[in-house]
Amino acid sequence: MQGVDITNSSNAVAAFFYKKQNDVVYYFQLRRLNDSLLQENARLHNQLASSSHIDTLRDTVSRVLMAARDTSRTNGRDTTKATYAGPAETVKYALYHYTPARVINNSISNDRINFITINRGKDNGIEPGMAVVTNSGIVGRVEQVSQHYATVASVLSDRRVSAMLSDGTFGTIIWEPGSPDYVYMEKVPTAIKVKKGDTIFTTGYATFPGNIMIGKVARVDTVKSSNEKTLKIALSTNFRNLQYVYVVKDKIGEERVRLEANTRARSEDRQNNTP
Amino acid sequence: MSIYLRNIIRFILLILIQVLLLNKIPLRWWSHPEGFPAYTPFIYPLFLLLLPLSAPVSFLLLSGFVLGFTIDTFMNTGGIHAFACVFMAFVRTQVLTALMPKRLSEYANSAPNFKSMGRTPFLTYAAILLFIHHVVYYLLEIWSLSSLGYTFIKIGVTLVTSMLFVLLYALLFSNSINKAYYD
Repeated sequence: MQGVDITNSSNAVAAFFYKKQNDVVYYFQLRRLNDSLLQENARLHNQLASSSHIDTLRDTVSRVLMAARDTSRTNGRDTTKATYAGPAETVKYALYHYTPARVINNSISNDRINFITINRGKDNGIEPGMAVVTNSGIVGRVEQVSQHYATVASVLSDRRVSAMLSDGTFGTIIWEPGSPDYVYMEKVPTAIKVKKGDTIFTTGYATFPGNIMIGKVARVDTVKSSNEKTLKIALSTNFRNLQYVYVVKDKIGEERVRLEANTRARSEDRQNNTP
Repeated sequence: MSIYLRNIIRFILLILIQVLLLNKIPLRWWSHPEGFPAYTPFIYPLFLLLLPLSAPVSFLLLSGFVLGFTIDTFMNTGGIHAFACVFMAFVRTQVLTALMPKRLSEYANSAPNFKSMGRTPFLTYAAILLFIHHVVYYLLEIWSLSSLGYTFIKIGVTLVTSMLFVLLYALLFSNSINKAYYD
C-alpha cells in the first residue's frame, strides 16, 4: 500500500487472472452495458446541442482580434476596423482528457480502502493521482500504475472528496464503512438550506473536475451541539456493477499543483520566519 | 497422488475460488446502511487447516505467510492477510493437540478431515481457527475500537458464511463420503 509495488493487484500475475475472469463475466453484462452507453450517448448529445456550434472538445487555433487601420480607402477619412490579423494562438477549450478503461477487479467489502483494478496503465498515459469517473458519477483516484494496469482507490475509502451543494457551499465528503451506497458530508452550517433530494456536485478544487454529480441527499441530520448539519448522500455511482470508467487527465493540472505547493511552502516559510 | 502434489493443487484451487468467486459475492450481496455490512467470506484458510497433522510448526508458519501474501497481492490488503494467516498457523498445533487423542507426530501422512478426526472435532477445529483468523483480520483491518459492535457483527456474519463454505468444501472433497456411498 505504501509504495510496495508487487503486493497489489496491478502486478502482472494478479492482473492476468482478473483480466481472464473479466473476459468471461463481461459477456453476461453486455445488455446492461449497452443500455448505459445509450443513455450516456443521449446525455452527451443533449450537452452538445446546448452548447450549439462550439466544439469544446477540441482545441482550436484562432487569430487574435486586433484593430488595424484600413488604408485602402481613398476618400480622405480614416477608417479603423477590426480584422483578424493578429498572431495565431491556440485556444484551449478542452481542459481534461478522458481515457475509457474497463474495470477488471472491484471490491466494496473492505473497511479502510476499497481498490478497483482497471486495464489501462503507463502505456496509455495513466499516472498516479488522476481522477476516475463514470457516466453516472465519481469513482476514485489512481493509486498505483504498472505497464498495462492501474489500481484505483475508490471513494469507498478514507480518502476525502471535495464537494459542493448546488448553491456553491462546499465541504468534504467522507465514507463510513458498512455500506457501499452512502457517503456523508459533515459540518454544513445550519444556515444553509438543504433538503432531501438535493444534488451534490464535485468542486474541481482537488482531484476531480468540477460539476460532476456525486449523489443526492438522502437524509439531513442536525447536530445540536455544534450547530451543524450532517448530510447523508446516496451515491449516484453504483459501485456494485462498475463496468466502464473514464480516467481523467487534467492537461494543465501539473502547473496548478506546482503553484499551490509553492504558495503553501512560501506561507509556511513566512510563518516560520516571523518570531 | 503424492501429498505434496495434492497440497499444491489445493493451494491453487482455493486461491482461485477465493479470488475469482468469493470476492465477487459482496458485489451482489444484500447490505444495509444501518449496520449490516457488505462482507467477503473467506475459504482460503482451509489450505492451512488441511495440511498434514504431522507438519512441523516452521513449515506451517512459512506456508501461512506465502498463502497470506498471495491473497494480499490479489486483494490489495498490504499484509493483513499474511499476518492473520501466520498467526493462525502458529495456533494450529495447540488447537489440534487439544482436540486429538494421540500425539500429533504419531499420525504419519494423514491430514485433518472428517475421516481422521470425526465430524464434530473437525468442525470445532475449523471453527476455532477460522474465528481466530477472522478476529485478527478484522481487528487489523478496521483498526479502531470505537466501532466494536460493527467489528463483532462483521466477524460474526463472515464466520458463519465462511464455515458454510468450509463445510461444503469438506463434504465435496472428502473420501469418507465417497466410500460410504459406494460401500
